[in-house]
Order: sequence, then structure tokens, then C-alpha cells
Amino acid sequence: MAILVDRGTRALVQGITGKIGSFQTKLMIEYGTNVVAGVTPGKGGQTIYGIPVFDSVRQAVKGTKPDVSICFVPGPYACDAAMEAIDAGLRLEVVLAEAVPLSDAVKMVAFASERKAFILGPDTAGIISPGRAKLGVHPHRLFSEGRIGIVSRSGALSYETAKVLTENGLGESTVVGVGGGPVWGFTHSDALKMFRDDRDTDAVVLLGEIGGHIEEEAAEYLNSGFPKPVIALVVGRAAPPGQKMGHAGAIIQQGKGSAQDKIATLKRAGAIIAHSPREISSIVRKELK
Amino acid sequence: MRLYEFQAKRIFQEYGIKIPNGRVAKSINEIAQVSNLIKRPLVLKAQVLAGGRGLAGGVIFVQQSDDVLKLGSQLMDRAIGTEKPAAVLVEEKLSVIKELYAGVAWDYQHNCAVLIGSSRGGVDIETVAQEHPEDVVKQIVDPFVGFSGYQARTMAAMIGLQSDQLIQYANALRSLWRIFQQHDAELVEANPLSILQSTDMVALDAKVVLDDKSLFRQSALLARIEQLPQQSSVGFEYRRSRAKELGIPTYIEMPDGNMAIIADGAGSGMLTLDLVMDLGGKTRVYCEMGGEITPDLMEKTMMVSLSLEGLRVLLINLIGGLNRMDEMAIGITNYLSKNPPKIPIVVRISGTKQEEGRKILAASRVEFFDDLNQAVEKAVKSTRGN
Repeated sequence: MAILVDRGTRALVQGITGKIGSFQTKLMIEYGTNVVAGVTPGKGGQTIYGIPVFDSVRQAVKGTKPDVSICFVPGPYACDAAMEAIDAGLRLEVVLAEAVPLSDAVKMVAFASERKAFILGPDTAGIISPGRAKLGVHPHRLFSEGRIGIVSRSGALSYETAKVLTENGLGESTVVGVGGGPVWGFTHSDALKMFRDDRDTDAVVLLGEIGGHIEEEAAEYLNSGFPKPVIALVVGRAAPPGQKMGHAGAIIQQGKGSAQDKIATLKRAGAIIAHSPREISSIVRKELK
Repeated sequence: MRLYEFQAKRIFQEYGIKIPNGRVAKSINEIAQVSNLIKRPLVLKAQVLAGGRGLAGGVIFVQQSDDVLKLGSQLMDRAIGTEKPAAVLVEEKLSVIKELYAGVAWDYQHNCAVLIGSSRGGVDIETVAQEHPEDVVKQIVDPFVGFSGYQARTMAAMIGLQSDQLIQYANALRSLWRIFQQHDAELVEANPLSILQSTDMVALDAKVVLDDKSLFRQSALLARIEQLPQQSSVGFEYRRSRAKELGIPTYIEMPDGNMAIIADGAGSGMLTLDLVMDLGGKTRVYCEMGGEITPDLMEKTMMVSLSLEGLRVLLINLIGGLNRMDEMAIGITNYLSKNPPKIPIVVRISGTKQEEGRKILAASRVEFFDDLNQAVEKAVKSTRGN
């Protein structure tokens, strides 16, 4: 099963002919992702790795029936591309671009939620269900098939965690990157709701950061009870206040959003707190014994 | 990107919000000139981007008999925090009956813009929201509908305004919204928005923060508003701006440390800082390079982070998806071949093309780790060496 993407997922790649888009598409196909079409306006009719390229998402949908899309389109144009895919009926849009204008990010998220679709991101590394499919830029050799779900704001922190789990003989069901914020189309609590019902997931690792509200929102959701162990790691304990720590959403402002506060809130909600990926792995082992 | 007050006021004026009669002056001579054009008493306001200007003495009043040149030159020389004023805004001092607040910001929890109003102006709105939440009114904006006139009038009525004042306040809110929307702002504030004896409503202070990721479509605005010559910042701010010019998105310094840390991801970077702290290590400087890093950026980031004095180790944590480890390794070895290291360099390198990257490092005899904890332990330990 896994969540959001699986073997049966039919993927579209927007921006498939660009430098990064084409390189990463090759890696996704090699990993086993079922990429059925690409879109680059003006390049319809071409093929790349044998995959047909269309001018618009509508044409791609008509010809190849994708149900999710990964978008390599740069920040200034990402909103338009995301809305195009959602308007064409896709259920999930992965937006990698980091430099998306705030108003565009808000617009695409509102557009998606009115149409009951999800935006993953912006500024996400994507999503991977190890051994099944990958819609992202993960170094997939660090991941392995297993029964731990991971949801993370940071791509690199999820790689780090998956690497340690993999080295300790634990694999992942699905690893979801929700993006660097401060606008999120899909949050930790959205992921928790899906992992809750996923028969392939035995425990959930929640990777948080300073700033924003999505860890608190996740804690609120956990407060109503959750049937699987949730292990939380919030990074940024050593981060000075008032500084953007690499992600636009990772900043302690007016004393709000510190790692310490988020850790306390998640702990009260029943999450088990870890301070490093290594600790996550030993807690998971103990919990699943 | 935060604008100076005088720039923000220029935009306010374009959108029909009244501002005090005033001129910006970039030197003592200019203060002398413009202060003759404006009726006394005057207000001299240091143009700085830092907050807390009033408390730091950045706003002074000039009465009929005061020596404006003496007060002006004192103000020009006074640093607000670490920031020297880029200019002085000389304004007429107005007689105020009441101070209000009006602003627009993003509400990330509800994924929309929010208009904020209050009958308590002149103080930080966050403070008002904590101490007098009943005096703060909000209207959220549907991204596809925008902010409507009725919402503005509702807010004006909710903070207790009537008749002409209700209309003036509602108009000001609508103008702030248009500025926010048309110029891709992160924050727009009139605080205080003051009611004068003449019953006019005037923005005594103006704050506009533009969204950095939208600046590419605001070139017309940026060309239109008068810019100030680049201020020669010193210390941390100078080094940060230099790092930014070189393409390093995150450059942070902490006092009292002796470790330099470089990461290629925001979350993995913060984790590195945390693990260093847990082992008793002290970070002096931290650089995060973002995605799509070239060997050149890797090299420059090493140069920047190693330019500080008193460092005992450089720890580089690379775990790349989009970033290729072969390219990172080329950047590292390029730097080291030109600048033989004076302090230990600890590299952790994993992810896309890691074998190729490790080969390159090994050929140049750079020690590397696969495990982050081991790398952090090694780095912290080497700060305790002789």
C-alpha cells in the first residue's frame, strides 16, 4: 500500500526536458517509477527516454492518464504549472521549486484544496515509497523497503534518518517531504492521517524544524489518540532566534516556534522524542519489539 | 526585503494614504536645506532597517529654538544597534488626537492574507494582541476574491470608528491591501495611523517588507523608489552580505564558538548544529548552501567560513539528493589545493554520486566519514586538541 505513491502510480513530469528535470526523470525511471508522460510547452511531440512529451497537461492526461505529477518548473512559473495539473484532474502535485513567490504558494495551495487535491511543497524533495516508486530527488540508495513512515520538512534530514534506519535493518514504507515552508500544501498531520490507515506502516517518524505551525498542528491531531508509535525529532535546538536557518519557514520569531516549545508540545501529545536519527532508530526498534 | 520608512511612505502616498510633509536627507547639508522647507516643530527620523528605533534614540524632535544641524549630525552619527542611519527623514511634527494601527500580513495557518486593525496604535501589534486581544480585529482574504470594501468598513466599525473616520480608515485599509497585493509584500503596516486635530488620518510610520522571492516581478517599483547608496556595514552584517553576494543563502555567526560548519541542506544543517551542541562543541559560523550547488559555490563557502579568526575545526556535512557528491568533492579539493588548511577539516559525504565523491577526496588525502555522528564527534574532539 504505502501512502500517496505506489507501484500503480502513473506519474507525469512537468518540465521534463530541462537539465534537472531530465536527469532526475532518468533516476526516477531507473528506480521503477511508472513515468507515463512529460510536459514542456512548445516541445509536444518529442519523446525522452521513450516517454511522450506533451504541450499541456490536458493533452498528457488524455493520452496517458497520469494521476500524479512532479513539477521541475522554476519558482516564478511553478504556480501556473501546478494549477494546470490540478485543473486537469491530477490528485497530487509535487512542487520542488524553492523560489516560489509567497502569494503564488498561497494561491496554488488554495486552488488545490478547493479541488480536493494535494500540493506537496513548495520547496520539497518529494516523496518516495522505497522499492515501489519515487517522485522526487532523493538519493534513493540510502532508503530501503520497510514499515516505518517518515514525514519531514527537510529533504536532507529525511535522507539522514532513512539512512540510519536502513543501516539498522529498518526500512521505510513512505517518506514524505512537505517542504521548507512557510506555506505548506500538505502537512505533518495530513501525513499522520494517511499513515494511520496504512497497513504497511507500523510506526511514524515525524521530522520537524523551528518556526511555523505544522508540528503544533500535528500534536493537536495526535491528542485525539493515534494507534501507532510516533517518534518525533525537531531540529534547530541550537539555532539562534530571529535567523532564517536555510528554509524560509525555519525561523524563531518573537520567541515563537522554538524547537524546545515544539518538542514539549509533541511530547504532551504522546510522541516519543528523539534528539538524533541514531536515537530514532533505537526507539523504533524498542517500540516495535 | 525591508524598505526604508521614506521609501514605504512614498508608496503609501502613491496609493492615497496621507503621510506627513517631509523630505529625506542624506547628509548634514541636506538636512540644513530640507529643514528650511518644512514648518517647525520637526521630527528627525533615522532611516534604518532594524526595529526598535524609537527606544534606541533614532527619532528626535526639533523645536522652534533648537539647533537642527547639531541634532541632525548627532542622529546621523548614532548607530541603531549595529546599523548607522543611511539617511534622515525630516518631517513636520503633527498634533495627534489618537493613534490607530492598520496592517496586512500572511496568515500561514489559514493560507491567506490577513488584514489587521486596532484602536491601539504606536506600539508593536504583537504586544497589543497579547495584552489586549479584544482590541485587535482581523479579516482574512480569499486569495481568489481579494479584500472587499465591506470587509474594510466592518473592521473600521469594529475598532469603534464612525462617520468620516470610518470611511478614512476603511480607505486606508484598502490602500494597504492594494500595496500588499500589487507589490508582493510580506508585510505592510501603518503604525501608527494617526487621527489629527484636523480630523485627517495620516500614517506617521510606514513599514513595507517585500517578498524576496517575488522581487523579479517588482523591478518597476524598485526602479521608481529612490534608493540609498549601499551602507558600509561592519562585522557580522558585512560578512553576511558578502556571503550573500557570493551565492551562499545562509550565513550565521554565533559568539564565543570555535567551529565552522557547512551543510548542504537546511534540516541536516540544523541537526549538525544540535549534535555539536549536545557534545559540548561551540559553533562560531554556520553556512548552508541550498540545493543545486556547484563546485565553485562549495569552494567559496569554504573560503568565507574559514576567513574568521580563532577557528579550530571546519566540519562539512553533505548529504545530497539534488547535490552531487562528486561536484562537492571537486569544490573541496579545489579549495584545499589553493589554500593548504591551517585547521583540521572534517568531511561527512553521503548521497548522490557518493562513491565518485569519496574517490576524489581520497586521492587528495582528505579524511571523510559516512556516519554523521562519527564526523561530529571527531570535529568536536579536535577543538579540544592542543
